Amino acid sequence: MWKKIWRKMELKKHALTAISYMLPLVVAAGLLIAIGNLAGGSVITNYKEPFSVASALLSLGVLGMGLLAPVIAGAIAYSIADRPGIAPGLLMGLIANSIGAGFLGGMLGGFIVGYFVLFLRKHLKVPRWAEGLMPMMIIPLVSSVVIGLLMYFVIGVPIVWATEGMTSFLNSMQGSMRFVFGAILGGMAAFDFGGPVNKVASLFADGLLLQGVKEPEAVKILASMVPPFGVTISWLLSLAFRKKKYTKEEEDNIKIALPMGVCMITEGVIPIAAVDLLRVVAACTFGAAIGGGLSMMWGVASPVPSGGMFIVPAMNHPLLFTLALLIGSLITGIILFLWKKEPTKEEEKLSDKDFEEEFDLSDIKISQ
Amino acid sequence: MKIVGISACTSGIAHTYIAKEKLIKAGTEAGHQVRIETQGTIGIEDELTVQEIKEADLVIIAADIKISGRERFKGKKVVEIPTNLAIKAPKQLYKKLESELQRGV
Repeated sequence: MWKKIWRKMELKKHALTAISYMLPLVVAAGLLIAIGNLAGGSVITNYKEPFSVASALLSLGVLGMGLLAPVIAGAIAYSIADRPGIAPGLLMGLIANSIGAGFLGGMLGGFIVGYFVLFLRKHLKVPRWAEGLMPMMIIPLVSSVVIGLLMYFVIGVPIVWATEGMTSFLNSMQGSMRFVFGAILGGMAAFDFGGPVNKVASLFADGLLLQGVKEPEAVKILASMVPPFGVTISWLLSLAFRKKKYTKEEEDNIKIALPMGVCMITEGVIPIAAVDLLRVVAACTFGAAIGGGLSMMWGVASPVPSGGMFIVPAMNHPLLFTLALLIGSLITGIILFLWKKEPTKEEEKLSDKDFEEEFDLSDIKISQ
Repeated sequence: MKIVGISACTSGIAHTYIAKEKLIKAGTEAGHQVRIETQGTIGIEDELTVQEIKEADLVIIAADIKISGRERFKGKKVVEIPTNLAIKAPKQLYKKLESELQRGV
């Protein structure tokens, strides 16, 4: 029964909805900060004095970052409770910002207020004449008062501790410790080519970004690009050494996977991995782990969570990032080149564009 | 069968459109008429018309996130799946849907 309730809550869907609303904001704000910093701007503290264009861009980016927790909370509450969730959700995000509970606080606040609004919508009955007041006054006010006070005085406290603890732990890591952390994160992000394991790593990195810890984000970006680049390198090696490793079909897939990889879309590798799961996954995970470890150890940080090669100039050490990416991809490429077997005649024939892996579809239900 | 559907993924720039292509391709091959509306980060494209929805035998929602305009499908047969499934196993999906419908759900 708990499983049923858990499923019905659709936590993941709500969180992903929030991420999808947050992404354009975080990309714009992150790039604004990067451009403003590069152009020598500083955050404007007093708008009555004259300021430069660079400072204006930087300050706008900082303002945008401040909107993240409210947008996340608002979007989660909207996903749960539809329109009436938006206003109280935004407020919960603002509370999270001001008590220092950041991203985690915003998510939690969004969930709680969202379910509370949903509950009010279903169970709070008012006389007919007051129905118009429900969405306009009663729901926003009651939910803001109840959950708002809860956020300020109860839920916020442990979250602030957790957030501060994690941030200072990550910032205090040194040398080999940083490498191990980056390697784990990178390996996870590459492991299933954009699947659930990758999403956990990527949510974690996005969350830390909002706390001002920007290194994990660089690891995530790197790990998303290692598989397509690594596979491409192994194919180039096979061409250079005239050792056939890929079928015609696979070669075509690699030619598609590479440009997708440049845009940080890992999934182009799936058709190549599907035919030779163990080798491709192992090689990609290992390469991404090494690359991620190096990137973390060298302190490469990205203020932008997504965008592939195009946002590398916005990072603090673009060259070191490229180097770590190259090393990781080379490792993946070389492992694959040495490990992969020459395709047999049958595989050449079998390599079918419409290949599908077996999927468990027993959960699919048509509802009316 | 006439099938309409919606695809929407988290980042709203890639999977949304891959899912659409896959659903249309596998569906057409299986002999269905498929129309898919995309709800990417750019907004709604190829919006379904009232007529199309009215005539449809089945609605496929391939989404990882909350979609807009759900109320349009009130009273229709609806199946909800993650975009991942539409991308990786569209043919199996249609087979499964056909057998579900035949059992008279």
